[in-house]
Amino acid sequence: MGPEQDLVEYRERLLNSMKAGVRRSTCGASDAIQVFVNQRRVGLLAGAGAEAALQVQTDARIENVQLRSEDGVLLGGLSAPEYGFRTTRISLLRDTMELRVQNYAQGGSVSAVFIPAPSLWHRARRALAGVADAAVPRPATGVAPGMRIVAFTQVLLAVALVGLVTDRTTGWMTPVRSPLPVTQTEAPWAAPLAEVTKLEQQLVDLSRMQAKAVDTIQAQQQGMAQLQRTMVKLLSTQETVASSVLTVKQEMEQRRKGATRDADHLTRVIMSKAHSAQEQLEAEIHSLTVANDQLARERAQLEQSNQELKKRLKSTGMEVSKAPVPDREKPLVAQQSEPASPPQMAEARPVPQQPPFLFWVTFSDGTSQDSIDRWVHDMHGRKGALSEGWQAVEIGPPTEPMDRFLDQIKQTKIVKAVRVSR
Amino acid sequence: MIGIGAQHMLSGDHAMPDRTTTLGRLEEVVSTVEDFDRVVLQALPILLDRAAGYTKRFLRETGQWSDDVAHEKFVLRWGAEYLEQFLVSGRSEVPCRPLFLLDSIVAKQHSRPEPFCYHSDLLTPLGRFLDGLVGRAAISRDALIALYHHCYGLGPGQIITVLGLNGSESPRIYKNFQRWRDSGWKRTIEDMGITETELHGLNEQQHRQRQRFNGEAERILRFAQAHYRKSEPDHYPCLSRHQWEDMFQQGYGIEYRIWHLALCLDCLHTAWDVGFGGASAIEKPRVTLQMQP
Ligand SMILES: [Zn+2]
Ligand SMILES: [Zn+2]
Repeated sequence: MGPEQDLVEYRERLLNSMKAGVRRSTCGASDAIQVFVNQRRVGLLAGAGAEAALQVQTDARIENVQLRSEDGVLLGGLSAPEYGFRTTRISLLRDTMELRVQNYAQGGSVSAVFIPAPSLWHRARRALAGVADAAVPRPATGVAPGMRIVAFTQVLLAVALVGLVTDRTTGWMTPVRSPLPVTQTEAPWAAPLAEVTKLEQQLVDLSRMQAKAVDTIQAQQQGMAQLQRTMVKLLSTQETVASSVLTVKQEMEQRRKGATRDADHLTRVIMSKAHSAQEQLEAEIHSLTVANDQLARERAQLEQSNQELKKRLKSTGMEVSKAPVPDREKPLVAQQSEPASPPQMAEARPVPQQPPFLFWVTFSDGTSQDSIDRWVHDMHGRKGALSEGWQAVEIGPPTEPMDRFLDQIKQTKIVKAVRVSR
Repeated sequence: MIGIGAQHMLSGDHAMPDRTTTLGRLEEVVSTVEDFDRVVLQALPILLDRAAGYTKRFLRETGQWSDDVAHEKFVLRWGAEYLEQFLVSGRSEVPCRPLFLLDSIVAKQHSRPEPFCYHSDLLTPLGRFLDGLVGRAAISRDALIALYHHCYGLGPGQIITVLGLNGSESPRIYKNFQRWRDSGWKRTIEDMGITETELHGLNEQQHRQRQRFNGEAERILRFAQAHYRKSEPDHYPCLSRHQWEDMFQQGYGIEYRIWHLALCLDCLHTAWDVGFGGASAIEKPRVTLQMQP
């Protein structure tokens, strides 16, 4: 086969697989669906006929949302509007996925709600039997509101605070975040080095916690506002549904003899429209409520740990100022008081949010840049500024006591000296 | 050097007579989703060549183009990728003019920093094989799990052990494996345009110079991993030894382990050290490329 023929066949093959589209997927209805935002995978919706929803917030503007099966086939998608929201329903093998994407002045959000198809509709249709012809196919309408609400209480919600997480993860890598200058003036000169470092660490922790608490509170307030707006929208749609049903019923009475079919059809059309709008709103409200609860819990946790941290900081501060003896035997508090992060949300967002630890080293003469880089990499660290021969290195916080950690560093072949403050 | 442009292939299609009409229709506004599907499906070849053509131009303008089959396949592959995105998201843009919508989707892609993983090493048969696998892993869970097999020769049971997965995750791993063997591998190879002859050649190379071949594979693999790892921001950062230790001991971060370790050789080694450093029930993972699923 010549290269030219090879190329022609390759092109044919690509065209054919594109024509096959969704049918290429060999996944079953019970397999999970992957959700991508701007071509980055942000989450997974479990299939298995269960109702599930995914809510994602991003710092960046959203360009598109895509759904893919586990074998990677593009099942459907939606491109986001410049501003405001857009929704679509994508029919999967058996069920339907409702996607809603919204862009704000800053960032955007996506919600994906998995709607398992038949059984609910069947039940709903029976309730409607009095009005509509039982032989008519979908969609069923006019379900008592309570019924759908019951259905939605089964919704599982995964809240992905991507915004928060990415902010942290990039933040801790930024060398600009200097240790707080306060320590230099407030800590007594006589205080042992380890104590000062500890204090510094705690201050960094504290400012971080506070920043996070503010973020969370803001997010919660936004969530509340949106919830209220949605409620208002829902109420007005309910009114519209009620009034259009009324008119249609009157019309039906009039035309009872003749064109019942037409009226039936009309009812169905009007109601299915209103119904899907309303259902969409209910889904939204539900996910907002759940998201809000989660935020509230998180906020409470943050506030609590904030308090705790403040208390500890205060006591450590006092101890430092009193400390006449160098090297007290007390465990380092700061690193152990890492609160409110992973475990609970771990499954979804395990990115540890511990603050970085900064130290300075000089290297033995003749150490190559390569071996320095390798050493830094082995610690999963990052190089900071180089000044007067001292190389700043930022790493995740060590959990062993400071002395032992420093000893370990000193024992490294290429390291000549190490210190933890400038 | 073989120069085969879009025009050349089109004339081979005997598509010339309709081409102008089809193109004209693509420039008009379509107002319903049904119309969009119909118009676009009829014009797939034209649209594919257009998307590939833009990609070729992008490579030329950035000094990355050269006239050979590997490059032609590269632009076709990415053209198809863009076209696929256009097919699904275009439906939500109705009413629209399909041709211009495609243009804008491609332009948007090309304005991203690193729109695709381009590197001359990735255009050799070995490079395309690895790029295909790792790129696929970014969108397919099956391919992701299969990476453990293709790169390190781990079977499903070993994957479960090395990743410290629990009982509830295991069936899924086996399922991923099965699906990959049944259809995923073949499709990925075909989507990358890797021929039987090329696969055979790779096997030969590995047979003759095993160490050198796997060394080269590792070099390329690291490159591809670093690029595609970004496809899942939340699971992107490398963790410290402590953090891995903690994660394994406390038993959280299942998704983190599965995604990150498949796409980061260094962390895989760390995680292996953490879990098996003492007891060597499973050998430390090394890059030994497996061509077959
Ligand atoms: Zn890593
Ligand atoms: Zn690393």
